[in-house]
Amino acid sequence: MGPVTPTPWDLTGRVTANEPVSTGLLRLDVALPRTVGFRPGQFAMLNLTGPGQLVFRRPFSIFAADGETMSFLYRVVGRGTALMAALREGDAVDCLGPLGRPFLRPDADTPPALVLAGGVGLPPLHAWAEAHKRPDDLICFGGRDGGDVPWSLLDDRWHVSVDRADGVPPGRQAHEGLVTGLATELLAAYDGPRLVLACGPTPLLRAAAKLARDRGWPCEVSLEEHMGCGYGVCKGCVVPVLSDDLAGWRNATSCEEGPVFDAATLDWDRLGASHGGVA
Amino acid sequence: MTLPIWWRTDPTQPVRIGPRELPGRIWTASGCFAYGLSGHDIRSLDVGSPYAGIGAVVTKTVTPQPRSGNPMPRLVELEHGAINSIGLENVGHAEFVEAVLPALEERGVPTVVSLAATRPDEFGPMCERLAEVGRGFVHWHGVELNLSCPNVAEGGHDFGSSPATVAECVAAARPHLPDRLLIAKLTPNVAQIAPLAAAAAEAGCDAIAAINTVLGLDIDLETGQPVLPRRFGGYSGPAIRPIALAKCDEIIRQVGVPVIGIGGIETADDALRFFALGCAAVQVGTAQMRDPFAAARMAAALRPDAATT
Ligand SMILES: Cc1cc2nc3c(=O)[nH]c(=O)nc-3n(C[C@H](O)[C@H](O)[C@H](O)COP(=O)(O)OP(=O)(O)OC[C@H]3O[C@@H](n4cnc5c(N)ncnc54)[C@H](O)[C@@H]3O)c2cc1C
Ligand SMILES: Cc1cc2nc3c(=O)[nH]c(=O)nc-3n(C[C@H](O)[C@H](O)[C@H](O)COP(=O)(O)O)c2cc1C
Repeated sequence: MGPVTPTPWDLTGRVTANEPVSTGLLRLDVALPRTVGFRPGQFAMLNLTGPGQLVFRRPFSIFAADGETMSFLYRVVGRGTALMAALREGDAVDCLGPLGRPFLRPDADTPPALVLAGGVGLPPLHAWAEAHKRPDDLICFGGRDGGDVPWSLLDDRWHVSVDRADGVPPGRQAHEGLVTGLATELLAAYDGPRLVLACGPTPLLRAAAKLARDRGWPCEVSLEEHMGCGYGVCKGCVVPVLSDDLAGWRNATSCEEGPVFDAATLDWDRLGASHGGVA
Repeated sequence: MTLPIWWRTDPTQPVRIGPRELPGRIWTASGCFAYGLSGHDIRSLDVGSPYAGIGAVVTKTVTPQPRSGNPMPRLVELEHGAINSIGLENVGHAEFVEAVLPALEERGVPTVVSLAATRPDEFGPMCERLAEVGRGFVHWHGVELNLSCPNVAEGGHDFGSSPATVAECVAAARPHLPDRLLIAKLTPNVAQIAPLAAAAAEAGCDAIAAINTVLGLDIDLETGQPVLPRRFGGYSGPAIRPIALAKCDEIIRQVGVPVIGIGGIETADDALRFFALGCAAVQVGTAQMRDPFAAARMAAALRPDAATT
């Protein structure tokens, strides 16, 4: 599992900013009572504080941790994230993290990366790209349309794709189509093996895993399974991984053994319809 | 928080239940804190460790064979609780006894091992083997027989709802655990729980744990289908607390056996309600999943000196 990961803390922080960074994404900054480290790919479990809080916290990838401030990017999809969007400066937030297995930390032998981030899959890979500024990496983000892309967070290393081209600001470029299509185009121009890293909707993860498998490249994907506890105690977020057991597979907790998995160890066939795996 | 004047007990002081003295009265509930090996590295500014002041960890239920559990999704949050259908995913008794129990002893985690089986006579050999391996262990306090899981299909009947079967299970376990605590954990999904508790007590158990989850079902309005693939699951969390209090009260008033209260305990106030009925200890389930420090914070808040410090 590589080097030791930073100690997880259960802290109550205060919101210092909670603002849109695109039409679909918001950024939440939380000032914690102490500095907490993280490794890209790790997440935190967030909740409101006190009465009215959710029965379970919600998992969010850590986008950045700067001193005592921890930052997240999120999309409103349900009750919890709607409550989150209503948080104002100074409101309290319960934050448990960093948790989970991070993305691989590259060393001198690691091939250049192909980074594929789709939608809210951006934060862990943005953090990874910030932590490891390797010139030969190909870094891609896929959004719904030009408005959905948080342009201000993406420097010129980022290649962008959009499902629909409307809303792309002047001076910025976007490939129209799937982010995997963009990747295939880029790969044609740059030779050699790559480490594929992906986070986003399940179809994107499947496509990334296949792209790597077809070429014999290593690949890590971050799964966004619904979670109960987030720290390995409830078995509510299991995913099937291949194993030497008689059955040929076993359950792995995506909070503790993941959320980042070696794509070759996942049992993609079993990771079926309940995981949005249609593609 | 100010503590009520009738509360003078320090829940982090040793408590005798049956043949054992346990280090405290606030425990974690089965299935909600894994085996007691998770979360040791998590820190907080107030209580420090999730294990600080805890009386016991009741392990995830262990079955004779390993189980991979039920299909996903297994856990669905509702407004005032959650329905789960984990399906007793566990490493199996052999692996538990060889690897997990010694690790718990080494770490010094006060442990109660939760066991389930599909036939009463399976409890005998499981307890015998536990006693063999755990001989001389000081942190392993005993066994909780899970006679109440709604999420296992084998046998096709809920054997925890028959007093005769409950007695058989307790009787099968008791002879192998002469000096360990033996608890029967009962289902609330019966009209009367006291006859089950009486049968368990008569068969020789030291305490009753109540309650396990309440049978529940929810519908996804978009599809019109139950949210869980197995349709129903176990409902837990704050919504079931009044049900749990009523069941504990029924047992305490009708059967002279120590009761360990479980169900919707989220705060120190919630725990006090169970202690007010006369519960010897309480277990924290769903709240422990949200907050690794739930039980530890409760224990700290309920120390009689807590209000003044
Ligand atoms: C490791 C990890 C990292 C994540 N990082 C981010 C991030 O950086 N940014 C971000 O925006 N999101 C992230 N997510 C997703 C985020 O946790 C969810 O969007 C959030 O929990 C939704 O909460 P909610 O209460 O708003 O939605 P809910 O109301 O809980 O659910 C939203 C939708 O999911 C469905 N759903 C609910 N429960 C289940 C279930 N058990 N199984 C299947 N479907 C279910 C609902 O029907 C609904 O359609 C991450 C998830 C994980 C596991
Ligand atoms: C996810 C989950 C898993 C559980 N697993 C078990 C189990 O393996 N064995 C058991 O006896 N009870 C199990 N329970 C029941 C709890 O131990 C407890 O009795 C019940 O949840 C009520 O308490 P609560 O409201 O504090 O959660 C489980 C509960 C939940 C929510």
